Amino acid sequence: MKQILQVLLAAAVAAGAGPLFARTKLAALPQREAVDIRMDHPLYTLIEEERVLTLSKGLNQVDFSWQAVSIDPDSIRLQPLDHPDGVRLLNVSYPPGEAALVWEIASDGNWAERVRISYLLGQIDRLAAYKALTDKAETKLDLTAYLIVRNFSGEQFDNARILIGAEAAFERTIAGGETRQLLLMQAGPLPITKVWVWDSAIQPWDPEKLEGQNIGIPVFYRLVNEQAAGLGRAPLWGGKMRLFQDDGSGSTIFLGEDILPLLPVGRKAELTIGDSRDIVVTQRKMKEEQINIRRNRKEQIVLYDTDEILTAKIENFKDTPAVLTLIEHIGGQWEMNSCSLPYTRKDAETLEFEIPLPPRKGDKPAAVELEMHYQRRNIRP
Amino acid sequence: MKRYTGLVLLSILTAAAVAKVDLVTLPASEAVQITIYESADLTLIRDSRPLTLREGTNQLQFSWADTLIDPTSLSLIPKASAAEVDITDLSYPPNASHLGLWTIQSRLAGSVPFEITYLTSGFRWRAFYAGILAEDGQTMRLEGYVRLTNQSGEDYDHAQVRLIVGQVHLLDEIVALARRAFPYGRPGEEIAAMLPQVLQERTRSAGRIYKAMDMAASVAHKEIRKEGLSEYFLYTIEGTESIPTGWSKQLPSFQAAAVPVVNLYKFEEEMYGSSVIHYLSFVNDADHQLGQTPIPGGQLKLYRTVGKQGNLAYEGGSAFKYIPVGQKVELNLGQAEDVLVEPKLMEMKTDNYRFDDEGNISGWDEICTFRIEAKNTRNLPVRLEIKRNFPTSYWTIKNLEQAEKVFEKVDKDTVKYTLLLPPQSAQSIEYVLTTYNGTRQQDWPSKTR
Repeated sequence: MKQILQVLLAAAVAAGAGPLFARTKLAALPQREAVDIRMDHPLYTLIEEERVLTLSKGLNQVDFSWQAVSIDPDSIRLQPLDHPDGVRLLNVSYPPGEAALVWEIASDGNWAERVRISYLLGQIDRLAAYKALTDKAETKLDLTAYLIVRNFSGEQFDNARILIGAEAAFERTIAGGETRQLLLMQAGPLPITKVWVWDSAIQPWDPEKLEGQNIGIPVFYRLVNEQAAGLGRAPLWGGKMRLFQDDGSGSTIFLGEDILPLLPVGRKAELTIGDSRDIVVTQRKMKEEQINIRRNRKEQIVLYDTDEILTAKIENFKDTPAVLTLIEHIGGQWEMNSCSLPYTRKDAETLEFEIPLPPRKGDKPAAVELEMHYQRRNIRP
Repeated sequence: MKRYTGLVLLSILTAAAVAKVDLVTLPASEAVQITIYESADLTLIRDSRPLTLREGTNQLQFSWADTLIDPTSLSLIPKASAAEVDITDLSYPPNASHLGLWTIQSRLAGSVPFEITYLTSGFRWRAFYAGILAEDGQTMRLEGYVRLTNQSGEDYDHAQVRLIVGQVHLLDEIVALARRAFPYGRPGEEIAAMLPQVLQERTRSAGRIYKAMDMAASVAHKEIRKEGLSEYFLYTIEGTESIPTGWSKQLPSFQAAAVPVVNLYKFEEEMYGSSVIHYLSFVNDADHQLGQTPIPGGQLKLYRTVGKQGNLAYEGGSAFKYIPVGQKVELNLGQAEDVLVEPKLMEMKTDNYRFDDEGNISGWDEICTFRIEAKNTRNLPVRLEIKRNFPTSYWTIKNLEQAEKVFEKVDKDTVKYTLLLPPQSAQSIEYVLTTYNGTRQQDWPSKTR
């Protein structure tokens, strides 16, 4: 067993003992009684360990050293547990050139004192990873969350409690250099919504102009961290999620992977699984005319409006229905003259259409047509 | 069979005793399923095995040296007695690379079926096609094939093979995850992708051993079951396949005896210059003896039948993109020599000048008469699409004679004429294009074309 952290007790040093630089190093090594590895902070890991120090009445010096271990010295704390009033930490000294410190402790009696030593330890952290299994119809998923502890701190922890938040605790031995995956949570079935999104600012408009290429429309699952969905007790940590689907024949396929962002209670996440090539959007600008042109005395245009017509043909080649979220952008000041489909104005420049697409009939695609006729106002060249 | 993954069941051993354990219970694999993706170097392996558990704590060691397995994808699930079996931990111990150790808490003693799944790199599959045009050029025999290649470092014997078509969203390359020194990296570490050179050398020598076996195995044609799942299409090959590492296997996927095809020619100066491009067009539907499934993207080799003996002549190569059911296919066969298109400017004039206060020209019209002559020198009827792009959206067009019947506006500055040319024939279309420039744009009659 490798332990790089050492607590050396310079036992029963009488009051008024010699100066600190002439330190005696007695190898009376108090063993760790209990260790907590607290990992609720996303970046820092706090170690709390309990040890029993044999203290003599009077002044005691305790040497704490850490070789090849990354400890933030400012974070090291010592707390007496049995006699919080009778044991006092008087000062801390740092010897030159050493990863060590010396506690000077005053004790009111000859005690075997249980103390808690805590510090922030580097090169040990945790990740969250998720595995999700959707049903064949893609309406719900079972979620499994794993805690992954990566211990490259150089320290081994025997029978340590790994704490993450108030609820979850694991008691494990974590070796130095070990990575350990722990089952954190299982939930489900959780309702999900499958969404296809075509954004006119991101996707190409005319597939015909991209010969020999398929244009993929991103497909997402929407998942809400709420009690109605079987979650909603705590935020879900951010981490990689791998999604699988039940194939209806006792096996699964891998759908894709995405990062689940840190998901507070009540918030929704959109997880990309892949691209659909079975929904095709062809968008074309059919008209763009400057109207209401105002000129200066030199006949230069100083202000104008535009009259624009935009059409989009949406074809569903799937044998199942789908709802496409189609996003259009019109910059500046504008007025809609006529629009063949209902939309929601998400902000000044963004229009969102929720377009239900029927399945293809036999081997003929289902098509929906959108036509927007609008004027942009008061444009300065 | 040579395998590079290993399973060892350790009963109630402490973690410290892991490193060198000789007690080996290698449970035989009951079934292996391989699901290979097309769009990424990604394969899902499902390995079913019965494990004999003791009551209490059991440990299962899985090792994968010299393979391309992503250790973070390892998953173990009981397929029966799930309520009695908890899989609590998966440890990647220090000083033992390519090794995982599952902790299984069992409340029963006896055999339990388990499934180990993981993602691996190194398998590929691709679709490719052969098209054989009938002598009259009106129909095409279309044959689809798939070719699987195993470079995973692992031999798979009697495995069920499934192929997936579709664009999968991946954050990391599986090969990069497989080559990482530590499964999840170290705190603060980035992925370093390295090429598995050692592996490639070894697979070459392994290949020779299996040569005789592989030749004997591939005799009969197999059925391929096809179904859609989510945004993917899943092809399941009948029965099982044995693919040693380093080997490829080709299987026929479909055949259509006589797909009616249209010889489509396109002319668009801005896209193709002065050349006419030949396309073979058909639809992935029942009218064209297709339409059962989407057609995965892949290369096509096109031949033509010549003579009464059914000899073949090579026409050229093309490529399919992914074609959903019901979508039109246009296979680019390259520049055509036998269909000619020549646009000519027949007359050009300007008119309707406008002047500003200082007497300078501020607006005018350009009126151009174009004649486009098209000639089909083939012995087949062809369809010809001529696209014309205009430099402005302020234009009007007057189509002369039959041009009006074949005219279509594509968008604000593009129009299209579609001609059906009988064998050995010529046609011409003529149009007058008026463009409005400068202040004349205000007079553009927007209600008309």
